Amino acid sequence: MEAVSETDVQFWMAKAVNWGEATSCSAVLDTSRHLISLRSFLQQVLQGLQQMSSTSEAMKTFPFVGQFLGRLCWNPCVIADERSQRLLLRCLSCLYSAEPLNAVERKANMWIKNMLCHLVSDKEGSVAHATVKHAGLTPKRYHSEALQKVVALMTEEVIKSCDGLPNTSARCSNGSIHTMSAACVALATCPQMSPLIGALLKHSMLCGSSCLNPEFIKEVSEALISKRLVLEDEVVVNLWCYSPTCLEGAAVSLLESVLSDCETMAQSLDKHVIDSLLPRASAHHCHIFLTINEIYRNVLTEIDENLAVRALIQVFTACFLQSLNGQEPQDRLPLRAFFPHVMPSLLTPLLTAPSEVPREAWLDHLSWIRSLLQSVTENEEAGEDVRAYQAVFEAWFLLVQCGYWVDTAAELLVLAEPENAEPLLWLLTFFHHPTNRGHQRSQQTAVAREAWTHLRMLFLTRPPPPRHLSTVKELLSSSLSTNLVLHLFSNFAVFSHGPVSIITEITDKVLTEADVKHRALWILASIRCRLNSAATRNDRVHSRLSTLQDTLLQT
Amino acid sequence: MEAVLRHLTNILELLAVSQTDRVSEWDHHTTLRAFKWAEYCEQLHSRFQSNLTVRSALESGLNDTNQRLQETLPSYSPVVFSELAQCQHMLLVHLLKNPSADNSVIQMLFTEAQESQFDQNSLITCKSAFNLLCRTLDRTNVSHAGLQAEAVVRGKLLGKLLNSVLSPSGNNEYARTLLDCILHDSAGKLENLYDIVAAALLSTNDETNSFTQHFILAWLRDRDGCFSKLCRSLSPGLCTVLSRQSSEFKQAYWAVLKQWASCLEYEVLESLWVPTSDEPVTFNMLTDRFKDLLNSGPPLKEETETELKTLRREDGDFNVKGINVWTDLIIQLKL
Repeated sequence: MEAVSETDVQFWMAKAVNWGEATSCSAVLDTSRHLISLRSFLQQVLQGLQQMSSTSEAMKTFPFVGQFLGRLCWNPCVIADERSQRLLLRCLSCLYSAEPLNAVERKANMWIKNMLCHLVSDKEGSVAHATVKHAGLTPKRYHSEALQKVVALMTEEVIKSCDGLPNTSARCSNGSIHTMSAACVALATCPQMSPLIGALLKHSMLCGSSCLNPEFIKEVSEALISKRLVLEDEVVVNLWCYSPTCLEGAAVSLLESVLSDCETMAQSLDKHVIDSLLPRASAHHCHIFLTINEIYRNVLTEIDENLAVRALIQVFTACFLQSLNGQEPQDRLPLRAFFPHVMPSLLTPLLTAPSEVPREAWLDHLSWIRSLLQSVTENEEAGEDVRAYQAVFEAWFLLVQCGYWVDTAAELLVLAEPENAEPLLWLLTFFHHPTNRGHQRSQQTAVAREAWTHLRMLFLTRPPPPRHLSTVKELLSSSLSTNLVLHLFSNFAVFSHGPVSIITEITDKVLTEADVKHRALWILASIRCRLNSAATRNDRVHSRLSTLQDTLLQT
Repeated sequence: MEAVLRHLTNILELLAVSQTDRVSEWDHHTTLRAFKWAEYCEQLHSRFQSNLTVRSALESGLNDTNQRLQETLPSYSPVVFSELAQCQHMLLVHLLKNPSADNSVIQMLFTEAQESQFDQNSLITCKSAFNLLCRTLDRTNVSHAGLQAEAVVRGKLLGKLLNSVLSPSGNNEYARTLLDCILHDSAGKLENLYDIVAAALLSTNDETNSFTQHFILAWLRDRDGCFSKLCRSLSPGLCTVLSRQSSEFKQAYWAVLKQWASCLEYEVLESLWVPTSDEPVTFNMLTDRFKDLLNSGPPLKEETETELKTLRREDGDFNVKGINVWTDLIIQLKL
């Protein structure tokens, strides 16, 4: 099997020759344009070389490799790229023979040593060499400081070029900005580069025109997501405003990181979301909020039983609202701008957080929400209108975003009297089953009430009656209502009174499957975030929450 | 103290051996130990570089060892104190260039461990990034008094180095040695060095660093013909900027221009001023330089005018061409 194709070899060899030492503007531009695909070609070459048993064999199988690697080592644009550099050096190490057996291998060894010399030091007798030699620093520190200084010079130029009005002949023309950003493509992960990268991004924001090299944007975005580059918050937000692709990348990256680590997220989902900067950016830029919502909405509709995504949406919205409230009133956009598709009357009740409403008023508030939502669903049931269906979906999505009210309803259900339970159960049912396919709503509400009744018995009677244990288990295993019952169950465990030990006792008996436990952790994650934002901390509740979490985490 | 001197001698011997074929006797363990010694040596440098007494003692120790090693190994290149800061790097380069060196150094370099002391990745990245960005900056229409970005940065670093060396008093000799070594090691391309020196002068322009500026100018004037060569290498524009910035430079520059003018003789047959010595100075060159000074605006413009008129007066105050170079210059410059 050929590790590298002949066409690829010819293509890349021609490129390497063409680029030379990257002394011309076009060479730098072309190199930066091809950097990403060059890395994968080098990876293929490396894999090919690793399968060789000797340097002689390698030179026979890949006759181009010496010239190719050599030329690339003289191209500072390639060498400055951390990943390409490592790949090149690993290729060189494959070609080095610990025990050279013939002239070819001895020559290869010498050539490799010379190449390394060239990479780490300047030519002897040159002024560069002399100034470095007597600098009283290690070459590494000297070049690091030199790099910082040239970055400072370039940053100064970029900043100065923003000072004038759009039509004055800027000293730093768009062409220069483009050239500079092309040179930065290889260096996106270099820590000394952040001032220049920040200045270039800021320039693009201020001057409006898109003169940044597209590969530059891509590399910076990737470096930020993988945390190999750290920029100031304002600069990151600038990048997202400048490039929708980068924004999408950041939103998807947040989603992926949340989904991949349930245990950590159950502890600190809100911190993780805030650290992503997305809520704060959304509060300052309406289009950012709308874009992120669009992405998460689509994910939700594809896998709508996914409690993790719902938890993320809920926490994201809550953090966003907090950011929004932190702004000066005159800077704040109206809420309508952020939620354009939903019935305006729903905005106030849902977007007011439970922490902003006195506890005694929660039941009334929830009844208000319920009646608004009920009228939307009744509209849909009345006609065949697609728009009415859309209205239900938008209303439901807003409820998902403001899931803290659903959690509040579930909390209230723990201690509610039967006469007050109805609106709360309706909300919970609507949240978990928004569609009324085959007029299932009444059926689902009945299931909810049944589950609630049994859970009350389970958590309020000592010892927990086995009859109720098995009924709850049965309800959980029926796929129609698992999430709803689980939601109720988790809230009962956390908010009921009674000894903490029953939590473990009941949970161990009722939640036996790994998948169900996993889902329960996500429900806990959103309960925890809501409790974190409350004015006062209820230690009793927090300790019950932790106990339940520990029980669920035990395999 | 004796121990430290012995250690230094050790290290110099190690460095010397690493350049000869006796290095084939080294195994992996020996190589590692050699690097450990080199690391220790770097610590010595950082600890004692500002301690005048200890450093001089170390320097004389180095001198003795250098002499001895030069006698036994003719290819040996002496090591000066300032180089000790890069001992590990020196050792590395010696081993890479030495065909007799065994493979351990390559093994150490190519090891996958990223944070190992032999990891060259960040050096290579910074060095090539510096190279790439200097070239990029030069391509934009930014000018730093006509100097290239690389010269500007190296000049700033040189200025910074001299600042820190000259801050403790009594260190002038050491600073002079540093500049001498840089000059000596720059073999051929001195124009690049002059650019860097000019950039160093430009960067040390504020009050806190004026002593560095004085020092550099004094060093240039002490080195025979150095200042003159520097002025000839730098563009008229750059010399003007430096003259505006420092009156010391301005006076020295005028002195050089005067000296160049004194090398010109009037060739009656050609009606031209021609050079007499092997200084490649021409009348046009002088004109360009003065023109640039005069175009720079107050106060340099007026000062230069005054100076020219004074020189013409001192040399006889002629109004006719062909007798006095200053007269002819003034006529040419239409003053």
